[in-house]
Parts: sequence; structure tokens; C-alpha cells
Amino acid sequence: MASVIEMKEERKDLKEEFETTDMALFVRTSEESMNDWNRQRIVDALIRETYIDVDTAKEIAREVEDLIVTSKIKMITAPLVRELVDTKLVERGLEQARKMHTRLGMPLYDVDQLILHPNKENANVPHGPEATNLTLAERIKKEYALLSVFSQETADAHMRGDIHLHDLGFVDRPYCSGQSLEYIKRFGLSLPNSIAMAKPAKHPEVLLAHMVKFAAGLQSNFAGAIGWDAVNLFFAPYLTGMSDRDLEQLAQMMIFEFSQQAVARGGQAIFTDLNLYWEIPKHFENVPAIGPGGEKTGKNYSDYMKESQRFAWALFNVFMEGDGSGRPFFFPKPLVHITEKFFQTPGHMDFLHHICEVASEKGNTYFIFDRGETAKISECCRLSFKLDQTDLEDAKEPWKMRYCALQNVTLNLPRIAYLAKGDDTRLFSKLTEFIEIAVKAHLEKKVFIEKLLSIGERGPLALLAMNRDGSPYLRMHRASFLIGMVGLNELVQVHTGQEMHQSRQAFKFGLKVIAHMKLLVDKLCERYGMHFVLEQTPAESTAYRFAKLDLKFHSPRSGHIVKGDLSKGEVYYTNSTYLNNSAVLNPIERVRQEGLFHPLIEAGALTHIWLGEAKPSRESLANFVIKTFRQTQNDQIAFSPEFTTCNACNRTSRGLRSSCSYCGSAEVDGITRITGYFTKLSSWNKGKIGELHNRYRNQAYIEAKEGGTVLKAG
Amino acid sequence: MEQIKIFFKAKCPKCPAAKEIGMELKREGVPVFHYDLDTIDGLAEASFYSILSTPSFIIEDEEEKEVASWRGVVPTLQEVRQRLFRSN
Amino acid sequence: MIEIKGFLETSFLDWPGKISSVFFLPGCNFRCPYCHNHPLVFEPGQFASISLKEVLRRLDALKDWIDGVCLTGGEPTLHADLPLLIRQIKERGFPVKLDTNGSNPEMLEKLIDKREVDFIAMDVKAPLDPFSYRRSAGCSIDLALISKSIEMLKQGKVEYQFRMTVVPPLHSEKEIRTLGQQLKAGRRMTLQNFNPENPLDPSLRNTLPYDPKLLKEMEKRVQEMV
Repeated sequence: MASVIEMKEERKDLKEEFETTDMALFVRTSEESMNDWNRQRIVDALIRETYIDVDTAKEIAREVEDLIVTSKIKMITAPLVRELVDTKLVERGLEQARKMHTRLGMPLYDVDQLILHPNKENANVPHGPEATNLTLAERIKKEYALLSVFSQETADAHMRGDIHLHDLGFVDRPYCSGQSLEYIKRFGLSLPNSIAMAKPAKHPEVLLAHMVKFAAGLQSNFAGAIGWDAVNLFFAPYLTGMSDRDLEQLAQMMIFEFSQQAVARGGQAIFTDLNLYWEIPKHFENVPAIGPGGEKTGKNYSDYMKESQRFAWALFNVFMEGDGSGRPFFFPKPLVHITEKFFQTPGHMDFLHHICEVASEKGNTYFIFDRGETAKISECCRLSFKLDQTDLEDAKEPWKMRYCALQNVTLNLPRIAYLAKGDDTRLFSKLTEFIEIAVKAHLEKKVFIEKLLSIGERGPLALLAMNRDGSPYLRMHRASFLIGMVGLNELVQVHTGQEMHQSRQAFKFGLKVIAHMKLLVDKLCERYGMHFVLEQTPAESTAYRFAKLDLKFHSPRSGHIVKGDLSKGEVYYTNSTYLNNSAVLNPIERVRQEGLFHPLIEAGALTHIWLGEAKPSRESLANFVIKTFRQTQNDQIAFSPEFTTCNACNRTSRGLRSSCSYCGSAEVDGITRITGYFTKLSSWNKGKIGELHNRYRNQAYIEAKEGGTVLKAG
Repeated sequence: MEQIKIFFKAKCPKCPAAKEIGMELKREGVPVFHYDLDTIDGLAEASFYSILSTPSFIIEDEEEKEVASWRGVVPTLQEVRQRLFRSN
Repeated sequence: MIEIKGFLETSFLDWPGKISSVFFLPGCNFRCPYCHNHPLVFEPGQFASISLKEVLRRLDALKDWIDGVCLTGGEPTLHADLPLLIRQIKERGFPVKLDTNGSNPEMLEKLIDKREVDFIAMDVKAPLDPFSYRRSAGCSIDLALISKSIEMLKQGKVEYQFRMTVVPPLHSEKEIRTLGQQLKAGRRMTLQNFNPENPLDPSLRNTLPYDPKLLKEMEKRVQEMV
């Protein structure tokens, strides 16, 4: 029996007047019971949930009862009663009361669809009962967020598509987090609410087990990515004397553990970032190393370079192999930091060739460029920042280095251009307006999360409130608030008539928009004493959502602007500050030009190089990586190959094909990067499919005489 | 004819000297443009040239191609003149 | 002047270790059934030429990044004025790599002697016997020319490489080994898999290439032959 959720059972003490009509009517309640009709429950609910007075409540209850009596139905669900009550509130103009009395839930049809069909909003969610639970819960929490956490103004801006509030279904958690292994090395695994407490690990395998479990715990408390700093370095004190074979085995365990976590929350793999260093980062050189049992080993981290490097090397051996059927691992994501010190560290060229070979063969490697001599670290969301004095103090006790972003709000930039109608002043004042709404949304979320955290270790965010070292796990004073953007390219196109890659003038206008955002956000940081930062939103579904909403509200203009295939509904806006995906731009120009935006954007800045089928030489890629470090301001690059994996023979080949190149079966699935991670194409939303068709894969420029450009795979 | 772009910030200690040079060159008839990194236009222009520190100088040819640059330092008037002269 | 029919500004694979630009030149004297460049090679009139001036302008703009230029085709040595093109590229400071099928040893010799090219990659089609070569090249070939080119490269006056595109029905493992024995080029001989998308002979479209792992192993074996 489909139980129907409804108002809580009445409290017996609130029954001053009990003279309800004696009807032969049963009500299905949320408590999975059938109750006799009792008008008083309506009154109780209204008094409990809204501010209206008892007399009005009684009056409404009587009216609803009359309605039901005259209809002569024998059975009614509690939700229907509630809706009937709501119509009475509306009739009286009691708008606020109606809102407070709202029931959250889903129509039967929708639930049916949901259980039967996969979710395409997030390609990292497989289809299954656990995933359906997640989606159902998200739906309700999303509604709750828009009604109750955020103000009407913020919620409306989201609904209209001026802005996008990310992960509303996870409104009761912060967005993403970055941490250090040192925390579990020092304190063991002792989580609030868990039934057993583990002391600090004595063996590398146990440390890995703690890491994986802690990551799963964190995933239940954050909406998005879980990042780990300098993983190979912090493992190093556990690895002394280990044979190559054992080390490789450990590396394999780590990668498989994180890639097969699809049994965790909502069947979702944990979005894991592993930050890796070939060198010993300067700020950890003289830090006392923590080893087995959580004890200091008596050495500093600089003494563990060999182990740290061997582990990093072993991890990439595993990435190179791929999974059991030769596919690239989707998670964890290896982020290698390229710094000045990297180039001063022995063996760096061999390692660079090694990770470039993985980039070419499987695509996993992310190259992170930390230029300059100042120490930098990566938070979550690839938010990197320079370490100031307090951070350097924290670095001496690395378990303190825990960071989070509380929320991500993305602006629909093309929308601003439609509204500005070609007027510069209007464009910039609209932009300011949108940013102010984003900031308001952040303030609202902050208040809400602080409320949850204030209940401490007995509250819903117990894990984040746990206090093992004098401050709660989530260090609120270090939280960031992300402000992202989608469709800068289309904003420029609407406003100037040209896309950013088409002219210097258009490109510069794009820079001007981001410069405005940057200066404004800096000012807002000062005003509110909070850390707002610009982010290149991955916008997996947002780019699609904004495009669809603008086709609705800003047609016909938007019809010429949105990218993709309009006839198939495969529409999207270009992500963040990227240049048009289909623009014939060689990787050099793309990395250089997109990189000009990166110094203005603190979080998540990345350039994708779509390789298609091509399998470059590792030495050439290394050459390109070094030049990118030396000659551009680009923060991060990744090379994305494409694969076809066969469900019949379980083998994987290069390129996107309609049939398996080994066995010829048509039971195949394509694999490539959707935004910041690899997934199967069958799980992609329409907008991203549109983008995939358009991606320029560094083909040769060959122009056919009879119209049209022919691009040849290079 | 070359043009010079000078990037500065209000609160940077070496910037007044840089602006001084700009003024002098302007008097000599060289097209000089000043950009304040705390303004939108200034920051956008600086980003275009990957200018991350102030003061900075860029000399460009007619096609707006970079001919010479000083980033985060103040050249002497002589040095700037030389570069302008050499590329003429 | 030679017409340039295609231009790839950045390649990570045509010149190992380098970031290179690739010029595609029209026309070919071979008819390899597995050729996947054939529209450009046999019907060059279909495609617009790209002006050399424009291409050189782009190269200049990428000067800090591009380590060399690859000339490929078709068969570049069919063009008598190829040396002129090479000189123009070299004048701008870019090393040049030439792809050839080895049918014009005379031009190769001149280019090598005058040190005008920095790298020559020669495509070898099959074991060096008239029947095999004819089958893989799609027309009869004067093997003496091919052998002469091979000998010349092996003198080592210029960096070189022999490349063999392997197609399962045309090249058995045994045949690959035979050519390996004939060349004895060690690590300078490389194998590359054929691409079944749009080959000149449409019947090859349904041919499965070698398993990449097997190919790697075969390559390893021929590279042991010195």
C-alpha cells in the first residue's frame, strides 16, 4: 500500500472542542494508519503550523468538513484534506499561512517515472533503489529549501533562472570539503554516532580503510567533492621498507576502493580528489611526520621523499592499467601539482612523462599549476589560495588544514545580456544585481547551516561539529562561498554581436565582465567579512537549464544564441568563461586565452583539451605542460580522450564508435569527460550531448570548396 | 607608431614613479595609456596582458602586438626611449 | 608553388617529443587500400588551398610553442618545389620533419645532403618483395627506389624513423617480422594500427584492427631486430 505522507498525528492535549460530525469516513495518514474522521485535527494542524487564530481555524475546519460530507466519499487521504484546507486559506487571502501549511511531496506519476527511469541531472548517480531514494529525498529537500531556507526573492531568482542554487536537495549540508589525512592519522576514526571507535592506524591498509570510511562519512555531510591534500606524502611514513609489489597493491586498493564506492550514498561514487606532489611542498618540509599509531616518527616530512614519490608513481601505474575492462577510472581524480619546486626535484622529467602517458592513454591526470614562490594549497573545488601567516601556522599541524565551501551559486550571464538590451551601464548594473542576489542566498544558507551546527554533536551535522583538536571539524571562519558563472561567451555574443574567439574586442569585453565580478566580489568580502570567491562552475546541468529557460523567456533572441541542436532540444550555454567548444582553436590558443581569465577566478579554473581519438606522444604532452606552466596563466589543464566500452565482450577501445571494434557488438557505451570527470554517455543530459557533438578535437583545418569546413582527425 | 600602456594601483609604492615616466613620454608625443587595476577597465586590460603586478609597462606596435614589457618594475626613462627608438 | 591543402596548427603526435604544426600536401603516387587521407590525396581539387603566407603568419604567432613543422600528404616529394617550401619554413627558425613513402630517393638525398630536413619518417608498406609491396601500396612500385631510400636513411645523416601501418588482412605477424628482419632498424621502426574509418578500399571498413596490446608486443619484437 502506498502510504501517503501527511500531517503529524494530532497532539491529544489540544482538544478543547470535540464535537466533530460523526461520519463513516476513514483518513489515511502519514503514520500508516486509518483514522476516523476528526475535524479537530485540522484545527490542531493550523494552530501548530501557522499563526492564524483558533476561530478562523475552526471555521476552516468546518467548511472543509462540509465539503467532504456533501461529496459523500468514503475514504480520503490526509494530503487531500490538507490541500482542501489550503484552498480555504487562499480564499481568505492568508497567503503566508498557506505557505507555512504547505505539504511537500510528489505526484504518484512522477514517483512512478522516477523509480523506473534514470536520473540525468547528475551523471554520477546510477539508477537503482538507492539512487531513487536519493532523488526522492532531494525533491522534498529542494522544495523545503526554496520555501523555507531561502527568502522568496532568492527562491524566485532561482526559479526564473537568473541564478542557480546548486544542490538544493542537499540544502542541509555544506557544498564541498578539502582535508588532510593527518586528521585520521592523529585521531583515528572516531565518529559521532558510530558504534565503534578506531584508534590511529598502524598499517597502511588500515589507514586506507579509515580514509575510505571517513570519506564516506564526509560524503554524507557534504553535497559535493571530497578532496585530500598531498595524499602520497601523508601516506609516506607508513610505507617505509615496502616492496614495489606491495606498494602497487596498496595503490590499486586505494583506486578501486574510491572508484567502486558506488554503493555509498544514493549509489553515488564519492567525488574524490587526490592531490599529489612529486616534491615535498615547502610548507611541509620541516613538519614532524606522523606515522603508524598516530605517533611522531621523529623525522620530518622532507625525509620521506622517496616513499612519497614511489607511491605517486605506483598510483599512476594503476591509472594506466585502467579497470578490469581497460576503462579509465572515473574516480578518484589525481591532481598533480606542477610548481617551481617540481622542476628542482630529481626525477621530475621521468615522472612528468609517466603522468603524461596516463593523460594520453587514459586521460585521468589533472595538471595543476601553482606558479610563483609563495606556498599555495588546494582546497576543495580546486580552490587554491596562497598561505598567509595563520595558514603557515596551521601547516605545522596539518590536521588543522580543513576547508570547505558552504554553497555554490551560479549566475546566468546570457540572461543579463538579454535584459541589458545592448546598454553597457544596464549590463553592469544587472550584473551587480545578480551578484547581490547570490550573496543574499549565501547569507541565507549560512544562517541555516549555522543553526544546524549549533546543535553540536547531537545535531544533524554531528560529524562536522565534532571537536577533537579544539575546534569543530568544519571551520566556519575558513568557509568559502562560491559564485559561479555560465555562458560568458553568450553574454558577449548577445551584447557585442561576436563570440569571444571571434575578435579581440569581444574577448576583452568578456574580461571586463569578469573583472567587474572580481572587483565587486572582493568588495563584498570586506563588507560582510566572508570569503566570497569566483568559481568556474562545472555546470553539468546548469548550462542546459539556463539555456532552456532562456529559450522560454527570451525567445526569439535566445534561439540564435544557445549552442547545440535546437531541433533535438540538445541545447546549452558554454560553461563558465570558456570559449566556444566548437571554435577551431588549437590547444595552445585555448590554453593561453582561457588562461587569461584564471587569475581572476580563484576556484575551479580549468581548460579542457578534447583529444578525441588521438593518442599523443607522452613527450609532446610533457613539452606542452611545461610550456603551459611557463608561458601562460592557466591554472589547470586536463586532456580528455574518448573511449568506447563494449558491454558484450567487456573490452574498451579508443574513440566514440557505434559498435565495438573488437567484437562488432552494438551493445556499446561511450566514455569521456562530461565536465570535471569521466562518465558513460548514456547517463548524460541532453545539453551535454549537444556540447559533445560540438567539441573541437584538435582536427586539421581543411576547407572544402563547395561550402563547409571539413575537419579531419589530427 | 608604438603606444605605451602603463598599469598601476593607487596604493602601490613604486607606481607614482611609473606614472611620472608616462607623463614625460606623453609630453614627448608618445601615445600613453594609464590603467588602474582597481577599476574594471584597468583590471580587464591587465588580465589581457597577464599583468599580475604593478607597476608594469607594455610597448605595443600599431597592430597592438607586444614589443616590449616591464612587469612589476619601473624602467628608466632612458630604457623605455631606447625600446621605442629601436623598434621604429 | 606547392599548394597546402590542410593545416593542423598543433600536433602532439606527428613528431614525438615536439609540439609541431602539420602541413598536408596533395597528390600521391601510391594507392594504399587503407589510406584514410584519400579525398585530400586523390581529389585535391575539391579542397581550397591555404595560402602559404597565412600559414606562415600563424606559425609566427605560435613561435614560442611550436618546435617544428611536419610536411605530410599525400606524398610531399612529388612536388619538385618542395625544397623551396622547406627553405621558407626553415628561414623562420622551425625545424622540419618530412613524411615520405620513399619513392623519390633523389630528392631525399639532396635534402639530406644540404641538411634541409631535420627528421624523415618513411612509411614502409610491406616486406620488400614486389608482390607484397604491390598488394599493400595498391599499385606496382619500383622496389629499387624504396630500397635506396631505406639505405640512405640508415646511413644516419639525418634523424629518421620507419613506420608501418598494419592491416590484419594485408600484414600477418609473419610478414611484419619479415620486414623487421629486412630493416633491422631497432627502435627506429614503429608500428601503427590502421583506422577502419573511411579507408580508400571500402571493403576494409569492416576489418577489425589488431588488438592494441598485441600490436605493442609485435612492435617490441621488431624493435629487438638490429
